[in-house]
Amino acid sequence: MNDTQRPAPDPATYAEAAAALLGLPLAPAHRPGVEMNLRLAARMAALVEGLPLTPADEPAPIFVAGRAAP
Amino acid sequence: MKAASVAAAVRSGQRRAIDVAEAALADIAARNGQFNAFTDVTAMRARHEAAAVDAAIAAGRDPGPLAGVPYAVKNLFDLEGLVTRAGSRIERSSPAATRDAFLVRQLRAAGGVCLGALNMDEYAYGFTTENAHDGDVRNPHDPARIAGGSSGGSAAAVAAGMVPLTLASDTNGSIRVPASLCGIFGLKPTYGRLSRHGSFPFVASLDHLGPFAGDVTDLALCYDVLQGFDPEDPAQQHRAPAPVLPLLDQGIAGLRIAVADDHFAQGGMPECFAAVAAVARALGATRRVTIPDAARGRAAAFLITMAEGGNLHLPNLRTRAQDFDPGTRDRLLAGALLPASWVLQAQRLRAIYRARVLALFEEVDIILAPATPHSATPLGQAEIEIEGETRPIRPNLGIFTQPISFIGLPVLAVPLADPGAVGTPGGLPIAVQIIAAPWREDLVFRVARALEAEGVCAAPPTGR
Repeated sequence: MNDTQRPAPDPATYAEAAAALLGLPLAPAHRPGVEMNLRLAARMAALVEGLPLTPADEPAPIFVAGRAAP
Repeated sequence: MKAASVAAAVRSGQRRAIDVAEAALADIAARNGQFNAFTDVTAMRARHEAAAVDAAIAAGRDPGPLAGVPYAVKNLFDLEGLVTRAGSRIERSSPAATRDAFLVRQLRAAGGVCLGALNMDEYAYGFTTENAHDGDVRNPHDPARIAGGSSGGSAAAVAAGMVPLTLASDTNGSIRVPASLCGIFGLKPTYGRLSRHGSFPFVASLDHLGPFAGDVTDLALCYDVLQGFDPEDPAQQHRAPAPVLPLLDQGIAGLRIAVADDHFAQGGMPECFAAVAAVARALGATRRVTIPDAARGRAAAFLITMAEGGNLHLPNLRTRAQDFDPGTRDRLLAGALLPASWVLQAQRLRAIYRARVLALFEEVDIILAPATPHSATPLGQAEIEIEGETRPIRPNLGIFTQPISFIGLPVLAVPLADPGAVGTPGGLPIAVQIIAAPWREDLVFRVARALEAEGVCAAPPTGR
C-alpha cells in the first residue's frame, strides 16, 4: 500500500485503543493534543516509510554484549 | 568575563578565586531576574570550591586549567546535594543527587567553580525554554523574546555575561538552537564522545552533552577538560582524549568546505541563508553539497524522540500526567503510544542515512548549514510565516539541527558578529552550523577560530 492508498489515520480511535492496551489513562483535556501529535507523527512516519529498505538494513544501535575498559 | 583570562589571572595570583566567585554571585543576584536563567544558585558550594583553588595556589599546587573559572549547568546535570529538576515539577520531589555528574567532576578537577543550575524546557523536550514551572528564559538581546531551547538558561547565562562557561544537552538541537538565538558559541560533540552519566536522560539514542562559551578559546578550553573515559556511560566510545586547544590556530588551508543545499536551503527566513552565505564567503567556500534524505532523517529523529521520551516518562504519565508542563505532556503521551514499527523503521533508516551522509565526507571536510530558520521570536508567539506558509515555531526551530544530530556528527554553532548585516530583525543574533565527520571536532574548532580571527563570527554585544 502506498501513501495515496493509505486510509486517513483515525488518531482518536487509535489513541483510545493503544492507551487502554498500555494502561495509560488519557484525560479528556489531553486528548486533542495527543491526537494532534499522533497526526504529526503519522506524517513523519509516512516520510520515513517513503525510503525503501532491504532486509539487510539493520537498526542503527548495535547491542554490545560486554566491553572492556580502555 | 572570559574563562581563559580569569584562569590566567587566578593562576598567576593576580586575582583570588574567591573574589571572582563573590563578584559573579553578586552579579547573578543583581541581574538574573532580568533573564530567569538560573533556577538554583549554589553559593556555598562556589565559595568552598573557590577556597580550594586559592588554597592549592597558596600551597604551590597546580589548580588546573580552569582555576577559579565560574560556570553553571543546565538543571538536568546532577550536582551533589541538589535535586536534579530537569525542568520539571515532578522531579522536585526526587531525592537530592548524591554525586556530581561526570562532566561536572571534570570541571571541578580542573579548578572550575560551580555557581548553580540553569533553566530549561521541561525534560529537554522543547526549543524555546518557555517553562510552565520555572518561568520563561528571556533573551539577553531582547528580554521580550525567547532564548531558544531546550538549554535556554545555559545560553542566556553566557550571553548575559553572568558566567563565561555553561554545560548543556543537545538531543535534536538544544545546544545549537539557543546558541543561535542568544548569539554565542555552542558545541555538540560527536555522539559518544563525552560521558552523559549523571545527567537526566531524554532520548538515549540521541542525547549529547556539550559546552557553551563566549568565544572559541573558552569553548576549546572547556571541551578539552570535559573529555575523558567514563565506564558508567554505555554509549561513550573508547577513544583517547583529543585536545583541540593546541590545534586551534592551524588554519583552514586545504580544508574542503561546502554549503549544504536542498533541505538546508529552504524553510527558513532569508537571514538564516544570508548568514550561511556570509560564513561561506569568508571561508572562500563555493562548492555545494546535498545531504541526501535530510527531511526523512529529521522525521525519523522526531519519531525516535517521541517514542523514547514517552517510554521514559510512562510511569509518571500514567499516574500524574497533570503535573507535566502542558508544552511537553501531550507529545510525551502520544509518544508512548507510537506503533513499534514506526520507531524501528526510523532506527533502520538511521543506519542507511548515516552511511549515505558519511560518504559525503570522502569529498568534503566541512559542511555549512543554518542553525535556526530565523532569529529569536517574541515570547508566547506560537507561529511564524515562512515562505508564505504558517509554521509552528516550537518544532520548526529544529528543522536544520535535527538531521545532523540524528547521526551524531560534531557541530559547532558560530554566531555572526554583525547579524544585522545579514538582515536579522533589529540585529538579533543568528548562528551557522559548522559540521564535520564523526570525531573531527578539531576541524570544526579550526574553522570557527578562522572565522573569529576574520571578525566574521563573535558573540555580538548585548547592549548591557
